[in-house]
Amino acid sequence: MPTKRRGKLAYKILFWFLLISLAPMGFVGWHLVTISQQSLRKETLAMQESLAVGFADTAQKYVTTFRNVLTETASLEDFVSMNPIKQQQYLNRILQIHLAVLELSVLNDKGVEVLRVGRFLGPNPEMRDLHQEDLFQVAMGPRGQYIGRLERFQGLYPTVTVSVPILDTRAQPAKPVGVLAARISLNPLSTMLAMEFPATGNSQAAVVSADGFLIAHSDPKQIYRPDARMPDGVLKVITTQSSDRGGGELPLADGKRLLAAYAQTRDLGWIVYVQQPIEAAYQSSEEMKSQIAKVLVWVVLATILLSLAVAGHITQPIRMLKDAADRLGKGQFEDLPELVTTNDEIGDLAQTFLGMSESLKEKTGELIHAKQELEKFTKFLEKRVDARTRELKAAQDELIKKERLAAIGQMASVVGHEIRNPLAVINNSIYFIKTKLSTGQEPDPKIAKHIKIIESEIQQANGIINEILTYSRQREMQVERVKLNHWLEELLSVYPFPAHIVVDKSFDPRDATLDIDATEMQQAIRNLIGNGIEVMPPPKGGRVIVRTAVAEPGWVEIDVGDTGAGIPQDVLDKIFAPFFTTKARGTGLGLAVVRKVIDRHKGRVDVESQVGVGTTFKLFLPTAA
Amino acid sequence: MTNLPKLLIIDDDAHLRESLAEVLDLDGFECHQAGDAKDGIAAAQALEPQVVIMDIQLPDSSGFQICQELRKRSKTVILIMMTGRFLSSEEKKQGFELGADEYITKPFDLAELSARIKQLLSRNAPRG
Repeated sequence: MPTKRRGKLAYKILFWFLLISLAPMGFVGWHLVTISQQSLRKETLAMQESLAVGFADTAQKYVTTFRNVLTETASLEDFVSMNPIKQQQYLNRILQIHLAVLELSVLNDKGVEVLRVGRFLGPNPEMRDLHQEDLFQVAMGPRGQYIGRLERFQGLYPTVTVSVPILDTRAQPAKPVGVLAARISLNPLSTMLAMEFPATGNSQAAVVSADGFLIAHSDPKQIYRPDARMPDGVLKVITTQSSDRGGGELPLADGKRLLAAYAQTRDLGWIVYVQQPIEAAYQSSEEMKSQIAKVLVWVVLATILLSLAVAGHITQPIRMLKDAADRLGKGQFEDLPELVTTNDEIGDLAQTFLGMSESLKEKTGELIHAKQELEKFTKFLEKRVDARTRELKAAQDELIKKERLAAIGQMASVVGHEIRNPLAVINNSIYFIKTKLSTGQEPDPKIAKHIKIIESEIQQANGIINEILTYSRQREMQVERVKLNHWLEELLSVYPFPAHIVVDKSFDPRDATLDIDATEMQQAIRNLIGNGIEVMPPPKGGRVIVRTAVAEPGWVEIDVGDTGAGIPQDVLDKIFAPFFTTKARGTGLGLAVVRKVIDRHKGRVDVESQVGVGTTFKLFLPTAA
Repeated sequence: MTNLPKLLIIDDDAHLRESLAEVLDLDGFECHQAGDAKDGIAAAQALEPQVVIMDIQLPDSSGFQICQELRKRSKTVILIMMTGRFLSSEEKKQGFELGADEYITKPFDLAELSARIKQLLSRNAPRG
């Protein structure tokens, strides 16, 4: 079916087009996506790290800021003088300005508190002896400052204690006269973390000390727990790193994975830890992937549409060519579809096709014409062959008849000749006996009667032999020109008609001229008349009708009829055959002779007979030219 | 010796020539017979018949040859050819040229034959 095949080429083109264009694109695209994803993930990790580092710096600065405030304050002249009143004024001021500062203490050179102010202290707070504490020992030592003593203020807020020495710069070298210590709330760090790393899902950020103390957390709830700590697993990982920064993927017990990064503060010994679920971390990379996938889908769709269009465009003229070829195949040379003649190979093909169809049309026309001619000629030939076959058949029949007649003639001739000898002997002998008897006394009348019978039978036998020999005789025709009416008149006038027969003559006044062998023709007519007389025996008798007519131009008809018993149809067909007879005595050659004579004159014999009415023989003979 | 006219019959059929001879004997001829051409010619030489009746077909020769032969020897002998078949005009003409006087077809009308022979003989007979 043409409809089933249609578009196959288009699909093939589409397939290869897609294969050629999309496969490399897909491969490269996939490769690019993988590379991009990897670099994006690295980038994400680096960003995570830098965030950790940035926050480590922030934390460092946070603490350093307060240390600087303390250092500046402690270097003031009023402070070195250790005048409690003056000192108190400064400390109050610090409390006012820096809300994160929860408590301030001035220790003398013995490590005993001499001044202590705080936001939640009563009017006369207890003065502690802190000379054993690191905050005193370290601040008075060569490092000259102390940052440490992480603890929870009132069990809740994480705080750090910073202390700096109060140096009397008047002495050389400078001599510490006391220590200024401050307990600073670390809550702002948590607030900053919460702002910078909003805690969603598993995302979190934290600052921990090396021993696991939770300094700050992006989720404030974590901070306010009395036992607030980072999970040990995480803590173990980040506190055992040799590098001061780092990061990577971290598998969790529940099978999820985290992207984690950490960074150490410059000199506080704190660690900033940032983590987020890998999905969130890689969200952008996944987005990129899906974006690329979308783009790919669009590209594929666009390519398919484009390919369809291209394939359609390429195959459309081919389809038209195919339609045209189909029509040509069905022999429809007219109304071929309009063929696109583009300036390319398909155009060339269309041109070639048009040329071919023209030539095909021409050739087919010639073929059809030739076929018709051939059919005509074949019919003509068939007719000729039929005619010739008929002629041949007739000739063959004629030949067979002639051969048969010749054979019969030959046999008859031999038989006749051979019978004539004994017949002659019998004849001689009976003549001798007759002669002898006649010379003596009166013979017995019965002997005389029998001699007559023998003589009569000899005559009859001789007559039969003559008839046979006449029929079979191969005699040259001796043609003469006669006037039919006159010739017939003469024949009838000498014919010995018996008394019981009436002759009924009717001659066409247009007397015909014939070229005939008069002897033979006379024999034929006589045979017919003789037959007629024989079928009308006395006493009834009957009429012999002899009539002539000009049948058609060039032909004359001689009818010889009788009013006898007629011939039944089944016998009628055989009456002209030699040796066919219905008589008790007869050679059956009478009508055969008629047929032979008429044939020799190129004429025709017909017979019409009706039982009880009579029989008419019709001889048709060509007239003389 | 009688004065009857001598007649020679040449035919291979013994019955025919005997019956013919005896019939003609009755009619006043002196009939002799021969069974073939050789005997016939010999008999004709010996007997010098006035009439020879011969069959056209003989076992050793054609009747026409005997006819020709006999005519050479005698201008007056009456030569009658017998035949059992139809002869064409051409054959008859040829026979007459070779010297035949008459043709008769078997079976013969003997009275007619006898009369014809006598008529022919009467012509040849010396007049006066």
